[in-house]
Amino acid sequence: MKKLITAAFLAAMASQASAEDVKLQLKWVTQAQFAGYYVAQAKGFYEEEGLNVTILPGGPDIAPEQVIAGGGADVITTWMPAALAARERGLPLVNIAQPFKNGGLKFTCLKDSGITSTADFAGKTLGVWFFGNEYPFYAWMAKLGLATDGSEGGVTVLKQAFNVDALLQKQASCISVMSYNEYGQVLDAGITEDQLVTFSYKDEGVAVLEDGLYVLEDRLADPAFQETMVKFVRASMKGWKYAEANVDEAAQIVVDNDQSGAQTLEHQKYMMGEVAKLTAGSNGALDPADYEMTVATLLAAVSPDNPAITKAPEGTAWTSMITDKALAQ
Amino acid sequence: MNRALPVLSVLAGIIAIWYLAAVWMNSTWVYDQAERAGTTVSFAEMVPQTMNQDRPLLPPPHQVGAELWKGLFGQAVTSKRSLVYHGYVTFKGTMMGFGLGIVFGVLLAMAIVRFRVMDMSVMPWAIISQTVPIVALAPMIITLSSQLGLTDRDVPKAVIAAYLSFFPVLVSMVKGLRAPDQMQLDLLKTYGASEGETFLKLRLPASMPYFFASLKVAVAASLVGTIVGELPTGAIEGLGARMLIGSQFGEPLIMWASLFAAAILAGLLILVVGFVERAARKRMGVPA
Amino acid sequence: MSALWLAVVFWLAAWALNVWLAGSRVSKSGPGRALVPLIFGVTVLVLWEGIVRGLGVEGVILPAPSVIAAKIAVEMPTLWQDFVQTILKGAIPGFLIGAGAAFLTAVAIDRSPFLQRGLLPVGNFVAALPIVGLAPILVMWFGFDWQSKAAVVVVMVFFPMLVNIVAGLQASERMQRDLMATWGASYLQTLVKLRLPAAMPFIFNGLKIASTLALIGAIVAEFFGSPVYGMGFRISTEVGRLGLDMVWATIAVAALAGSAFYGLITLIERGVTFWHPSQRH
Repeated sequence: MKKLITAAFLAAMASQASAEDVKLQLKWVTQAQFAGYYVAQAKGFYEEEGLNVTILPGGPDIAPEQVIAGGGADVITTWMPAALAARERGLPLVNIAQPFKNGGLKFTCLKDSGITSTADFAGKTLGVWFFGNEYPFYAWMAKLGLATDGSEGGVTVLKQAFNVDALLQKQASCISVMSYNEYGQVLDAGITEDQLVTFSYKDEGVAVLEDGLYVLEDRLADPAFQETMVKFVRASMKGWKYAEANVDEAAQIVVDNDQSGAQTLEHQKYMMGEVAKLTAGSNGALDPADYEMTVATLLAAVSPDNPAITKAPEGTAWTSMITDKALAQ
Repeated sequence: MNRALPVLSVLAGIIAIWYLAAVWMNSTWVYDQAERAGTTVSFAEMVPQTMNQDRPLLPPPHQVGAELWKGLFGQAVTSKRSLVYHGYVTFKGTMMGFGLGIVFGVLLAMAIVRFRVMDMSVMPWAIISQTVPIVALAPMIITLSSQLGLTDRDVPKAVIAAYLSFFPVLVSMVKGLRAPDQMQLDLLKTYGASEGETFLKLRLPASMPYFFASLKVAVAASLVGTIVGELPTGAIEGLGARMLIGSQFGEPLIMWASLFAAAILAGLLILVVGFVERAARKRMGVPA
Repeated sequence: MSALWLAVVFWLAAWALNVWLAGSRVSKSGPGRALVPLIFGVTVLVLWEGIVRGLGVEGVILPAPSVIAAKIAVEMPTLWQDFVQTILKGAIPGFLIGAGAAFLTAVAIDRSPFLQRGLLPVGNFVAALPIVGLAPILVMWFGFDWQSKAAVVVVMVFFPMLVNIVAGLQASERMQRDLMATWGASYLQTLVKLRLPAAMPFIFNGLKIASTLALIGAIVAEFFGSPVYGMGFRISTEVGRLGLDMVWATIAVAALAGSAFYGLITLIERGVTFWHPSQRH
């Protein structure tokens, strides 16, 4: 039934447009974190490849993995832990490109709260995002030997909202921030960098791969789909490199595409500047060493709290097939 | 004037309490900042500083008013920054849900009144359906509708709104369609009226006052449903989406302005529905 | 596909059974009344199971009821912890405080027609507002634990309750009040012996509306920050982890809790307002 509907739907779409249609589901709302795709769209890079790309923004209750499983998207952006978790639950996602070389996830604490190093965490309240972003945190706590179930000598975990209020209102000693977003909000709120202690997941040895492009494994067997994805990745990477080089213009493009009208150019410029630092080291190809590190991080803390994956991923969780072709030309 | 005075005094009281609360709640930040800077502030210095913060805990009324004014009249209504535009998006969703809710509620009520088995088996579940918190179902509705190929995100929004608004219509219509008493039904029988005629000439007209009375509740419920639906459905546009983005980017003013825009929309909807109700009652000869 | 057909056949058979039951004398008895909706509920579950199995719907889209039931059995301790956090700590205290405050306010302004005339339109208006929008703000004010959830519930419950109680206090008839006056009853006596009992149907109507609002409020508030348990937390987190069976398990608990809450209020209502025409069957 599902296949029938999807097939009928695709057939209907194909007969309407001669260009190849690609639907991209983002992990979160329209912001500079996804600038590369919006730039590729606005500058006509997709069009040059003969693609007709629809970018679907995400939101708090939208899991991209679920959208692609339901046939609502052809390709999604998500973090690798979430993709691997989906794979273990029977949804075979494959990483076809990794525009983010480095992760922007950081952990920042107010010095007022008495935290100067990871040794001070015990007994403190720590803010974490959920919805797939909690996996590296739990891995880190496991590495530090801190209990997260509220027992003596451990830490109290709270699910922070998608902003920095928890820190500003002193409800948590530390919170998760993205270098390109919430960290800037903390500084904007009048707290200076020397009032903060910030930990980097990478330095702590628990980094995971962030925004990558994922597709369903069975569709990847289709040469026509492969060809479309090669074009898509090539144009997207062109968009990313253009965005890195033209921060202000990219930020403006993002703001233009934000349908809520609530994003400010100033903040998107900041975000684009920071995101550019993370994408700068990648030409789109995934570095196998980064993949191994992500898997090692996740396997270091297998527990009911952290049900990302329980064993090393089976099959091809990533492939260089698309990027090899996309980058060769 | 006699009726406006009490309302105005209550509103004035609310605004006064609001200002006091704003000073009290926003003062913490002023004191904290002073402490970080190593200075002290007196009470007299503190008060003005609570009135114009960028990220107040509780923005005072004039700040919200200014933001609301800017959102409503400060730009072209077609702009993405215009609250009129987002209000229209939410209004559209509300109306779709409202219409869907009315149709579904009325049809279900007709079936329930006609078939005893529907009454017995479906009615209890209709009540239970309202005790399921809709927010728990919202993500599921989004997934299922995208699974069915309905990629338009207005659809799940309207479904959520209809889920909340069909119930008051259903309950009132069941009551209304059953309002004619046995004597009236018997009379029609002696006229040899068919079931369809009885329905059209007696039951349906008798249910109208009940129907219109339920619309006010239904439209308010539909608006709540739409806003709840806009929070998770991708937060693209609409007042609910702006609330979310305002919350995410630590812009309380955007949040408050959207909230008040939603309040104004609610007020307008209730006014219009109330007007329709009165007009309908008048036409049908019921004393308003 | 056969599972689907089996389910459809079951549905038709159950429906026929229900039609027969509804028309027979069994449906006049108490258990008979409960039997028909129960059969209908079971039918829906069977149909759901049949569709999921017959069409091979993936678990990450819509899990089958049997899978959800198994999950409920396995995850009982977690579901209980969530229930305690959201319902017992968030929704119920908020409901009691909100309803109580509305009651006190209504009685306090009872002797001032001026305040009533002022508060009633404002209250009516606020009762129709999408108060859920306040949830992120209240979470910011009251912190992440159950206090902020209870606060959201208080605000959501207060105005619908206030409007109903004020309307209820005006429900007694002029003649009844005059009679109390001729008996020399004091204000307090009139209030307790006549006007409050007369207000009960209105108050219970308000309580029923408030009970559903309380659950919605407590769950929505958890979307904007919470400890690592609670029903709203569970739903939003498990959606992200594709643990759809757990999401539906939580929805089932929420539905059960909501129905039980509503049922409890209806039961109390029957005891308190036994004299009202709507309670006579």
